[in-house]
Amino acid sequence: MSATADVRLPAAAPQLDTFRHYRQLTVELAISQFKLRYTQSVLGYLWSLLKPAMVFAITYFIFVDLFRINDGTKFYGIQLLLGIVIWTFFSECTASSMASIASNGGLIRKAYFPRSILVIAASLSSLFTFLINLVIVFVIAVALHQIDIGLRIFLVIPLLLELYLLAFGISLFLSALFVQFHDVSHLWEVLMQLLFYGSGVMFSLTYVLQRLHLALGVGQTKEQTPHLLWIVQLMAANPIMQTIEDLRHALLTPQAPWTELVVSGHLAAVKQYAAVDVPWEVPIPFLAVALVVTVGALTFRARARNFAENL
Amino acid sequence: MADRDLAIRVEHLSKRFRIPLDRSATLKHRLTHWRSATRYRILQALVDVSFDVRAGEFIGIIGHNGSGKSTLLKILSRIYQPNAGVVAIQGKVSPFLELGVGFNPELTARDNIFLSGAILGLSRAELHRRLEDIIGFAELEQFVDHKLKNFSSGMQVRLAFSLAIQAHADILMMDEVLAVGDAPFQQKCFDVFNRYKREGRTVVLVTHELSAVTTYCDRALLLDHGRLVADGDTADVTAQYRHAIGMAADGGRADAEMERWGSRDVVVTGIRMLDERGVEDTNPATGGFVRIEFGYVIQNDVVADFSCVLWLMRGDGVMISESNLPVSQYAQVGESQRGAGGTIRFDIPQLTLLDGAYSIDVELQGRRDRAVFDHLKNGLHFRVIDRRERRGVIEPGGAWSVVPAEQPADVPEPLASTRRAGRDERPGRRRS
Repeated sequence: MSATADVRLPAAAPQLDTFRHYRQLTVELAISQFKLRYTQSVLGYLWSLLKPAMVFAITYFIFVDLFRINDGTKFYGIQLLLGIVIWTFFSECTASSMASIASNGGLIRKAYFPRSILVIAASLSSLFTFLINLVIVFVIAVALHQIDIGLRIFLVIPLLLELYLLAFGISLFLSALFVQFHDVSHLWEVLMQLLFYGSGVMFSLTYVLQRLHLALGVGQTKEQTPHLLWIVQLMAANPIMQTIEDLRHALLTPQAPWTELVVSGHLAAVKQYAAVDVPWEVPIPFLAVALVVTVGALTFRARARNFAENL
Repeated sequence: MADRDLAIRVEHLSKRFRIPLDRSATLKHRLTHWRSATRYRILQALVDVSFDVRAGEFIGIIGHNGSGKSTLLKILSRIYQPNAGVVAIQGKVSPFLELGVGFNPELTARDNIFLSGAILGLSRAELHRRLEDIIGFAELEQFVDHKLKNFSSGMQVRLAFSLAIQAHADILMMDEVLAVGDAPFQQKCFDVFNRYKREGRTVVLVTHELSAVTTYCDRALLLDHGRLVADGDTADVTAQYRHAIGMAADGGRADAEMERWGSRDVVVTGIRMLDERGVEDTNPATGGFVRIEFGYVIQNDVVADFSCVLWLMRGDGVMISESNLPVSQYAQVGESQRGAGGTIRFDIPQLTLLDGAYSIDVELQGRRDRAVFDHLKNGLHFRVIDRRERRGVIEPGGAWSVVPAEQPADVPEPLASTRRAGRDERPGRRRS
């Protein structure tokens, strides 16, 4: 056998087994997406900190200085910041994951690997930024003495997991549909607007309920404002609202409502006015997350086999 | 798979593509036209294809553009799902088909190595260990931390190749890897093919380069409009393919483009390479007889007489020899009238070139002013096959001899090197 130049050829390296191969690929994809996100910008990674900070400044000015919306606690500022950081994660994670399949057409058409790796990598890359921001919020809270640390801080971990699963489930669903229907990105943008106001980023559910009490107190009957009750119920069932409120409670202040309060407690308050009785209301947000993940995974699996052809 | 020797088994494989006739496949369109089924054109990419590949076989898939070669390779690699049929694979399949999959122009060479290496299934620790080798082999030491978008395409290919040869897989699927590089790169590819063959790996190669198929593949498959029309010995299958597409000879069409210039007062027609029987053959063997033959036609009366030069070039552009038509032969070609012509032959009784890709350049020029009438660069490509697989470029035809000394030399007892000298007939040959 001619060996003209292959004296110089290196010996082949052993390949990783399947599981470690895909784990490694996920990590590398997440790292490179993280790097790519801040390429060609002067401030680079700083943008991931500046953006929520700017949104916070604007929101604080409008809602606190201008409209005097405040839930009456001295923790409002830091709670608003935490809400914005969580919301930024949710919106960026879903947006970047949605495009992750369509924008990696070259990879999908030339190499085989489970397609969900691309979505996982995109969402992990967002999660990483989020976790750094979360630490910064925590440090700010400690510095400003706007925090009341307790053992409940350990609940942050399952709550973050819940939030991530929700964002990931939605990402699977959106990214699978986005391959053939770019329409979903426009639709999702509008939905995100709606969700922003329906997730209590700028105000807590308590605040909404206070306004409701007020509204219902001054001569309005429940028959005249049934939509208000419905809106509150929907908000209470919204898993993003639940995680934001619960994270505020677990990480910052025990005064912020806890799931039990958010759902059953506040619904009980609503029930004074509405003739509804929902005994299974506490697990509603959790069931919603499970449903989203299931639907997302099934949709993705059914469509993934044809990604290479449809791209 | 019952048979342990089998690497790939394909049974009754069919693949259809549905190509929508109107591209407005938006959600709105779906919603407003949900009654009328979207109109599709069905493209039958593969029809009832069945074959087996044994472990260690080097198999080539050939066929014209759109015959289903790449589709078949993508189904074997699990990138496409078949509509019907069964694919069974035994062994670890290389997860990608082409060089540089996963490369991102905005990332540095280093980042790209880790990303693309991860697709290949290499661990981060392993890549760290081999980083210097990979960069060194690609000759890109200065550019490790430069973004890929600032690399020339040649540099990118070198990096991709250097990375690809690091990976180990039992079964390799390769789609047109030869199409991207220049001659030295192709030579490197061939070296890797040799290594794969030696290591007994299973390789499925899709290519237009018929000479590569005949040289390296044990077997070839010919696809035509999605059907498997031939499966067997490479020489037979490539011959059938050439016949089908009306290619008179190997011609090496996938090689470097022919370039041509000159006044065309006299033109060269049909360069051919013949064996001792007068049969066209662009895969001559080392030591064999080769005749290079081409016609000339005089197109202009003013031509008094002309001369001819023939260059033998190695695939990477190195000139091996330059041969001029001897003055004594000018009379036969000169002083002719418009329309006259003939044949010029260049015979090599014993080809001394060794394994590799070569080409021929020819020039017809005015005898006195050396004006170029017709110059053909890469006028003919050919690949020399050395059955004895010797290394190097030429066989010098040297003769060995060993002459033992008359008197035994004064050597201390433990050393007995003179006694072994006779066995070491071929120095420089390394055992691997």
